[in-house]
Amino acid sequence: MSLALACPECGSELATPLLCERCGTLLDPATPPTPFAVLGLEPTYALDLGAATKRVLALSRALHPDFHANAGDELRRRAQDNTAALNAAFQVLADDARRADWLVRDLGGPAEDQERAMPPAYLEEVLEWNEAIEEARGSAAADSPARARLAPLNERLEQERTKTLRRIAALLTPLPPRGSPALRSARQELNAVRYLDRALRELGELRLATRV
Amino acid sequence: MPFLELDVLNAPGRPTLGIDLGTTYSLVALWRAGRPLVLRPKGRRDGRIPSAVHFPASGPALVGWPARERTTTDPGRTIFSIKRFMGRGLADARADLDAVPFRARESATGVIQFEAGGRAWTPQELSALILQEVWRTACEALGEEAPRRAVITVPAYFDEAQRAATRDAARLAELEIARIVNEPTAASLAYGLEQKREGIVAVYDFGGGTFDVSILSIEGGVFRVLSTAGDTHLGGDDLDRALVELALAEAQPGAELATDAAFLQGLRLAAEHCKIELSSREESELHISAPEKRLSWRRSVRREEFETLLRPYLQRTLDCCARALHDAKLSPEKIGEVVLVGGSTRIPAVRAAVERFFGRKPHCELNPDEVVALGAAVQGHVLGGGTRELLLLDVTPLSLGLETMGGAVSKLVQRNAPIPCQATETFTTYADNQTGIDFHVVQGERELAKDCRTLGRFKLRGIPPLPAGMARVGVRFALDADGLLAVTAREESTGVQATIEVQPKNGLTDFEVERMLKESYAHAREDFDQSRLANLRIEIGTMLRALEKSLPGARAELDRETLRDIEEAITRARAAERTSDVKAVQALRDELERAALPLAAVLMDSVAKAALQGKKLSEV
Repeated sequence: MSLALACPECGSELATPLLCERCGTLLDPATPPTPFAVLGLEPTYALDLGAATKRVLALSRALHPDFHANAGDELRRRAQDNTAALNAAFQVLADDARRADWLVRDLGGPAEDQERAMPPAYLEEVLEWNEAIEEARGSAAADSPARARLAPLNERLEQERTKTLRRIAALLTPLPPRGSPALRSARQELNAVRYLDRALRELGELRLATRV
Repeated sequence: MPFLELDVLNAPGRPTLGIDLGTTYSLVALWRAGRPLVLRPKGRRDGRIPSAVHFPASGPALVGWPARERTTTDPGRTIFSIKRFMGRGLADARADLDAVPFRARESATGVIQFEAGGRAWTPQELSALILQEVWRTACEALGEEAPRRAVITVPAYFDEAQRAATRDAARLAELEIARIVNEPTAASLAYGLEQKREGIVAVYDFGGGTFDVSILSIEGGVFRVLSTAGDTHLGGDDLDRALVELALAEAQPGAELATDAAFLQGLRLAAEHCKIELSSREESELHISAPEKRLSWRRSVRREEFETLLRPYLQRTLDCCARALHDAKLSPEKIGEVVLVGGSTRIPAVRAAVERFFGRKPHCELNPDEVVALGAAVQGHVLGGGTRELLLLDVTPLSLGLETMGGAVSKLVQRNAPIPCQATETFTTYADNQTGIDFHVVQGERELAKDCRTLGRFKLRGIPPLPAGMARVGVRFALDADGLLAVTAREESTGVQATIEVQPKNGLTDFEVERMLKESYAHAREDFDQSRLANLRIEIGTMLRALEKSLPGARAELDRETLRDIEEAITRARAAERTSDVKAVQALRDELERAALPLAAVLMDSVAKAALQGKKLSEV
């Protein structure tokens, strides 16, 4: 996506709506730019994380409030706002699930409160996993069999998360058209990721508690 | 004059102090001649300033070393560990309040107030006293007025209320905050500058009252925090307390003594001493006495025994390390270097545990007491416009969100999100013709709002009457580079805007800060003179005691004139108690020091003579 925007100060073409890298002017984008636009990228699911990280660090070097600490109020505010926009964009882009979530919404797909279901294949397993976690929580003894099963369960859920993200990648590559049923499927898979993240967090806490 | 030109080119924009406002000690540093330096008054090797305030029976509060010196003679009037109360209410601080010899109550906005020296003091005001002492120390070290602009460090795991309290303390001390920087991040700056290494670094910061661990990536001068975890209530203080409890359980001093603040304060100091000694010895003695109660109890503590007491605390620090690694999506072997910060990392068992956990020897070349202040001075140099070579990218330690229907939390900013940062979420009405919405801003990782910390509440009014679910209210969180939050809300169809500075639940209002500032202006001159006077008298007292002890043995070695000089100075200095003119007392002190110089020379034995040449009596 070419921004086709020019710097109001020097007229050169912009690679990000936050800053003119030619003349160093901090810009004031009228409408909040999308996470992809901030880095001058086309919206796609595939992302080169290494290149994106390098780009964010380079932009931070120009935008960060630390380097404008002695400027006037207006410039300081822009440095703060634009760095915040850059950081917020990177938070979405760098995380596979959040990037997918943003794309599904952007293409008019259902939000999580409009489509709460998980893919049907999960239902039975979720019951089983919940039971295992519940059992481990109930047994305080560190050497109980329920607690001993936590490590393999953790690994199993991690694998499941990787597989689910792979399915999401397939659903969103290339990006489906607006209104495509693939968006609903992607939302259901994202709901599964959310469940898995919560379960993994809980497992992490339980495993910490057993180590003492 | 090429040198001069170069100097102009490199002129640092605005000199900015780096202040480590610690639980037990504070330090101040400044960028000078191409590197950060800890500011110490001339002749003093230790740059630390005790974070303690002493309220004598009469007269103004004493801060720093004079306060610490008084704790042995008058332990019931000194307050330590003020940092533990910053941004906290009575309910949060129950356990810590037992160690404070003053009565505490809570203001209407949930700020703790201690009754001492005939008035009420908030932790913010007490911290401001310490910051003023820190600033005076900087002036003394520089020999001129120190900058009033400062970078102040806080534990990475400090929440919004604790950061806001630190900001208010600086305002009350009339310091301009250039930036609030996280302690482990500051340490990494000092470390990175010194070692010039790149890669992934873990900073393990076990201080007097708090524990932090931060994982950073250092690359091309950019110090990027990947994750941080910690506990704002876990530090060397807790280890002292564990020893205190051991002593109380075994010595059985009786209920009256066990709740006596002065007795406990003395015991706490004994425990601290024992702990420190156990870092260099296998065994130390814990001694408590209360002659008036005919109590004298002593017992030896072996290092092994102390390590057993230490274990649960150590485990909590390692749990934090595991959490930080998990959030950074890294395993321990990915960590290139481990840096130790904070006095508690001097304990051998702590070092060994960190080494086991990360599988590599931690760095401890830099003085763990000074590294945070040094890093703050580096950041001060950056913020003053002195360099663009270094850039610090930090994160927020805790998630921020709003309570939703049913008491759940909708998280707008996730923990470990880079700052500054912003997030917007849209809410709607749940009843027909609802014209206002209440918002409850919370911070923390738990799923339910009641389990998180309340930062504040606000109400958006003036929503046009619409059917339920039709109004759209956008709430925007903006977290600045200090980690401080601003919230705005706006109804999108009408543009009704409510800007709310979130008033921290356990914080001061702007109005209160203003009032305190006005009050302190009124008393400033008087307080300053009073405390200067008290400090001078203490110094004179110390010198007189030293003279009484050493003069008789050294008489033979001194010529008659010198002896007369010293004796006259002593007589005059004894009169210092009777005059309250600061200048006159200062002159007496200087005179005494000058007169006693020849004695100091005589006192040095032949071995020490070379090393101590030129030192003043007050330093020997």
